Amino acid sequence: MARIKLSLYASLRAAIGGKPSVELEIEPGQTIGDVLQRLGIPHNQARIVLVNSRHAALADPLQGGEQVAVFPAIGGG
Amino acid sequence: MAVIYRVNMSELSVRAEGPREGYRELGGRGLSSAIVAAEVPPGCHPLSAENKLVLAPGTLTGSGAPCAGRLSAGGKSPLTGTIKESNSGGTAAMALASLGIEAVVLEGKPRDNRLYRLIVNRDGVKIEPAETLGGLGNYETVGRQFEQFGERIACISIGPAGEMRAAAASIAVTDLEGRPTRHCGRGGLGAVMGSKGVKVIVVEPAGGERPKAADPAAFKAAVRNFAEALQKHPLTSQTLPTYGTNALANVINAAGAYPTRNFSQGQFEGTEAISGEHQHDVIAQRDGVIAHACHRGCTIRCSRIYVDEQGQYVTKGPEYETIWAHGADCGIDDLDAIAQMDRLDDDLGLDTIETGATIAVAMEAGVLRFGDVQGAIRLLEEVQKGTPLGRLVASGAAVLGKAYGVVRIPVVKGQSMPAYDPRAVQGIGVTYATSTMGADHTAGYAIAANVLGVGGRVDPLKPEGQVELSRNLQIATAAIDSAGLCLFVAFAVLDDPNALEALCDMFAALWGRPFTGDDLAALGKSVLACERRFNVAAGFTAAADRLPDFFTKEKLAPHNVTFTVPDEELDKVFDFVA
Repeated sequence: MARIKLSLYASLRAAIGGKPSVELEIEPGQTIGDVLQRLGIPHNQARIVLVNSRHAALADPLQGGEQVAVFPAIGGG
Repeated sequence: MAVIYRVNMSELSVRAEGPREGYRELGGRGLSSAIVAAEVPPGCHPLSAENKLVLAPGTLTGSGAPCAGRLSAGGKSPLTGTIKESNSGGTAAMALASLGIEAVVLEGKPRDNRLYRLIVNRDGVKIEPAETLGGLGNYETVGRQFEQFGERIACISIGPAGEMRAAAASIAVTDLEGRPTRHCGRGGLGAVMGSKGVKVIVVEPAGGERPKAADPAAFKAAVRNFAEALQKHPLTSQTLPTYGTNALANVINAAGAYPTRNFSQGQFEGTEAISGEHQHDVIAQRDGVIAHACHRGCTIRCSRIYVDEQGQYVTKGPEYETIWAHGADCGIDDLDAIAQMDRLDDDLGLDTIETGATIAVAMEAGVLRFGDVQGAIRLLEEVQKGTPLGRLVASGAAVLGKAYGVVRIPVVKGQSMPAYDPRAVQGIGVTYATSTMGADHTAGYAIAANVLGVGGRVDPLKPEGQVELSRNLQIATAAIDSAGLCLFVAFAVLDDPNALEALCDMFAALWGRPFTGDDLAALGKSVLACERRFNVAAGFTAAADRLPDFFTKEKLAPHNVTFTVPDEELDKVFDFVA
């Protein structure tokens, strides 16, 4: 097993009790999509995914130690 | 009958004119830039009698189209020396449009240096002395007008900064509660209004009539389709109303592009405390207002009303750019203090972006330390008092930075960059460098495709594709600004073909002729071309279309990148302008 830090934003925070982030145990090789599924977050709500501050895709695998940030549709300015 | 009012402040006279060749089918930014380009000598001093201040609602303002209540202010900028268009929400554009007014143009300059008030209603424009308003903040200024004229008016006003003719002075527009919270912030147009001796413009919309669409039934149908598209897009229907513009703070920070302590870092450790999510919770807890519209017909409602711990009104929003400028850029993570500074800016009539960025440069200079909340507030109080230091703060980051010998001054053409570091979002760097307005995010919001995944995806850290992205966005934005539409409709228009089609259908029905996406692009290009030609005639060359040197030399953490779009690529952005 390995650990990641998952940060969720805006409406997605409801999936982790309103907290900004959680540490999760994962199997190396699990994808970001797998992790979100475990938390009950529909994939179509995850519009922006960043791993260690770089854009990533839901199909990207995780190895452990990553900081993952997931956002719904965001805009403003 | 559409009318343009010419208000000559040298002669204290008013002239009404009908549609003029060259200005037909133009509104908002399209009209204000066309008038400035045609009538203002590009080499004139921005505070001289030769400059003009154009105030224009958009072509769709007051038509029933949703989110079309922007007021465009245009003139030659005292901050940048370029042509300038700065637009704002609030109620004034709708009020002017409902009177059939296409623009109010302030010309000349009072010979006596006195202060005046304009009253605009169905009978025309009246000029009255208003010296009793001298030195007042925007809140007191407009409060007195609402007391005298009743609740239905809209006000356009300047605060002490505009009276001082300070280069960071804004023009305030009242909101639905009659507060001066919406601003044509950028480029110092408040100083131009101050130079014309106009403290406040009171607009009484009662009894006016706006010209109708050529095909009213088709227009109504297009409006319905456009409104539906805005209701369907998750950004305009969910995120913006719930979390406001400041929903961006966390994502821009997570992407490593949140300028921190005067653009020295790309991530701020205090972001969560000033984020849109936290702001939402604070406002909800204190019984402030979430999802607040800045004018009638706004369906997005991205504004909010911020209250203190006792539930007393402090200010609107504050908005993302303001929270960043007075927050992360200054190393400040205190939302209540930022709200207090937003209120002070609005009352003094200062651009919050320019002012926050200037305070950050003052921190870099050692005038005060990063994170010094009380010191930052004191600098705003210096502006209020009109002290030499206060005047430097109100003159913008370029002037203050030069006065204190600072090297890292994040401006283009003298205007401060907003809340995205161009090293970590290269597309917005292209917009900052080349926009006709100086560093301006709204001019071509490359953040959409670079970070937010709206309107396609372009890698934010690489130079490839950024010029084309910025060019296309600058063209689309110029067209949207001309309609008087809030730029946030672009999130739907960029993503949803139905939204684009409904937008074109609104223009087609308004004017009674076919109108396609190509026509929209042609409109945007013509606006940019006229602005660009003005700037060239004012002496701006390719050398001005560059970011400050340090962006190409200092690496930005966490990505450790510099700005790498080559100069010769930047020079291609306006290759469509003859």
